[in-house]
Amino acid sequence: MVSWKMLPFIVAVVFITPILIVLTSLFGEYSDNWSHLIEFVLLDYISSSILLVLGVSLGVLVIGVLSAYLVTNYSFYGKNTFEWALLLPLAIPPYILAYTFTGLFDANGDANILIRYLFNLNNDFVFFPNVRNITGAIIVFSFTLYPYVYLVTRSAFLNQSNSIKESGRLLGLGQISIFSKISLPLARPAFIAGLMLVIMETLSDFGAVDHFAVQTFTTGIFRTWYGLYDLNTAMQLSSLLLMIIFLFYFLERFSREGISYTNDNSTFKTASVTGLKGLKSLLASTFCFIPIFIGFILPIIELSLWAFETNVDIFNNKFLVGSFNTITLGLFTGLICALLAIVINFSIRFTKNKFLERLNSLMSIGYAIPGLILAVGITRFLVFSDQNLFTNINFVITGSLVGLFLAYIIKSYALANSSIESGYERISNSIDNSAQLLGSSGGKLLGRIHFPLMRTSFLTAVLLVTSEVVKELPATLILRPFNFDTLAVITYTYAAEERMYQAAMPSLAIVIIGIIPIIFLTKMIRSSRIKNS
Amino acid sequence: MKNTLILTLLFAQTLSLLAKEVNVYTSRHYDSDELLYQEFTEETGIKVNIISGKGGALLERLKFEGKNSPADIFFTVDAGNLWKVQKEGLFQPITSQLALSKVSNNLRGPNNEWTAIAKRSRVIFYNPDNVSDDEIKNISYESLADNKWKGRIVIRSSSNMYNQSLVASLIDRNGEQNTERWAKSLVENFARKPQGNDRAQIMAVANGEADLAIANSYYIGVMLSGDAGEEQLSAAKKVKLVFPNQLSSGAHVNISGAGILKYAPNVENANLFIEFLLSDRVQESMVKKSYEYPIAKVPISDEMASFETDFKEDSASVKKFGELNPAAIKLMDRVGWK
Repeated sequence: MVSWKMLPFIVAVVFITPILIVLTSLFGEYSDNWSHLIEFVLLDYISSSILLVLGVSLGVLVIGVLSAYLVTNYSFYGKNTFEWALLLPLAIPPYILAYTFTGLFDANGDANILIRYLFNLNNDFVFFPNVRNITGAIIVFSFTLYPYVYLVTRSAFLNQSNSIKESGRLLGLGQISIFSKISLPLARPAFIAGLMLVIMETLSDFGAVDHFAVQTFTTGIFRTWYGLYDLNTAMQLSSLLLMIIFLFYFLERFSREGISYTNDNSTFKTASVTGLKGLKSLLASTFCFIPIFIGFILPIIELSLWAFETNVDIFNNKFLVGSFNTITLGLFTGLICALLAIVINFSIRFTKNKFLERLNSLMSIGYAIPGLILAVGITRFLVFSDQNLFTNINFVITGSLVGLFLAYIIKSYALANSSIESGYERISNSIDNSAQLLGSSGGKLLGRIHFPLMRTSFLTAVLLVTSEVVKELPATLILRPFNFDTLAVITYTYAAEERMYQAAMPSLAIVIIGIIPIIFLTKMIRSSRIKNS
Repeated sequence: MKNTLILTLLFAQTLSLLAKEVNVYTSRHYDSDELLYQEFTEETGIKVNIISGKGGALLERLKFEGKNSPADIFFTVDAGNLWKVQKEGLFQPITSQLALSKVSNNLRGPNNEWTAIAKRSRVIFYNPDNVSDDEIKNISYESLADNKWKGRIVIRSSSNMYNQSLVASLIDRNGEQNTERWAKSLVENFARKPQGNDRAQIMAVANGEADLAIANSYYIGVMLSGDAGEEQLSAAKKVKLVFPNQLSSGAHVNISGAGILKYAPNVENANLFIEFLLSDRVQESMVKKSYEYPIAKVPISDEMASFETDFKEDSASVKKFGELNPAAIKLMDRVGWK
């Protein structure tokens, strides 16, 4: 009995240590580089980061929430396809969309060449605006990350009882007012959770902003580390970033403390679907098609063009082993994260332990640490363990797969957690009460009642994490064992030498492997629709 | 039972000690390099284990692994990275005289901690349609600050280490104040906000977006080879390459280099590996695929041979690049070089 109660704490502590190691840099010395940063660049980093986060937030909310609302409340042309296809951009990492964007829209990019060819224009004519700027970055992040918002918001809308909306209608609210005054506020915890993930991913990204030469906090962190050779200041910058994110996280939590969003099951009524016709149907379809086109179809076309232009033998051993490594790591991490999230969230719900709840939030911000900085925290942690804890065992964990798993789990736990958390939010407290009255508590309650109820959330968690791990690059590069490649690493090694043509095939493979989890998600989405309608 | 287990374990351990291998941390990612490593294994029976990544990240891993590090060789691009490892005291001297005899002094660590394996120059590409021979003749890095180039120059961002090394070399030669003035004028001459990689700069010149691009020499080789697609090939044919500072200090040269690590478990194999990399045959086949310039006296790739081959190199030691790198970055920050 003691053991399972302690377990979440022990696990949480192990996973938080590397994050804490990064944070402890705040208590170290501050070098003179700070005065240079403050005088010349910090303001730039901060203002462009804020601009980026605001733009991306607006972007993902408009795309994610509206498309989720459309597909759950209306029927229109292609709706059944859009319902799952809206998830597809999840398979495209922002850095790959950024690469394809410049390949398409640079002055001599394929899209501009096509326009010139179609309209018989001369070579100086540039149709598309420059994408290598903050606007381009906002577009890239919005169209690759909105599925996080879409996914959770959609299931929140599905779980909204129609009886509430009916009451609204009786009180004289129109369609727009029902959306803005009832559905939207009720879905808030869901889309805010999704939005937090998006913001964290945006702030920790390096590949895309670096490619677009947008100077954000992350590029500043790397410049300080690699250019000024000042890892300590780089870690202090990262810590600052983490503190800001942490603040947001708690503000958001605080703002809905004590508010319960769970439905009372006895009055639950599934949503009624309004049919759209003519122009309205066309508009709804167009609105749902645009994000799929920009975030998925367009990059796939460009990558395929590149891949076919090079006649490189790609199905070699390296590629196959890389694919195998990628899939195994992804699935395994997914399972661990989902199990961890369910055990910890169960403990929080069951024991109402505030401390554990805080630990859990802390674990979630691991998502916002730039992979390389996290890798530094992990390496320090592993080396410490090797030298102090495992001195008797003839096994060095530094440079083994242990570090890699640790990084993946810390980096993607937030995804599992948000999915499990929103799953728990939908299980009414009265179920727990009845179960406990009937003598089910502890492990029994978890295994027999919560787990079956949360099967979908659990699978979603596994799949989201898997698709994230498949895309992860910076931490993999530094923590992997000898001769150990993943697809992201293979892509990087080509892209780093600016050989996008050769990078295209492994990129496509990342996308294809990323689609597999999405197909499963899709199936669940379909079944949830059938169940709900 | 227990004894056999211990024996087996012992045996396994002895095997791993006897196993002939060399462990390489590298930030070079050429497929052609990997083929050379395979050749090394076939030739010597020594297995080459690889971890590739960014130089700074690999250095961090080395530092934390400390005495336990399995790495024998650190192989990287940019002299600054080698200097960093050297400064941490993580190299030991290379002892192979055969290897060292091929490398001039300015391309080695002060105590032979590392050696250059290949060279690249940071050169100027121009569009002959928009730049006259007269204008380009005797061009120097310093003269890029001239008013006549206003709005005509493209170069990538200051986050790029090749730019950092170039500016560091100028600080070394002309002093920090002069270089800062120079950089300020250079930024005013930019045709656009720095963006994209070196190849993107060459493309911009080919397409007439700008008249001059500062970029590394080997990119034009890759583009001319056709491996990078038709579009880049035709763009590469439109531009010309000029080596700056031919009447003064010589063109800026940076290196790919390698060193043996202090705690290397396979020192002997590591020396053999460096010897191998500097052997004529390997040098030739390496630079023919990477379009770099060799250290040994061997023929270069046809693509690079289509330009001037007998250019004057800046003989200043590449050792300074790393040391002055932080100063270079801060200087570029101050003048608003994004």
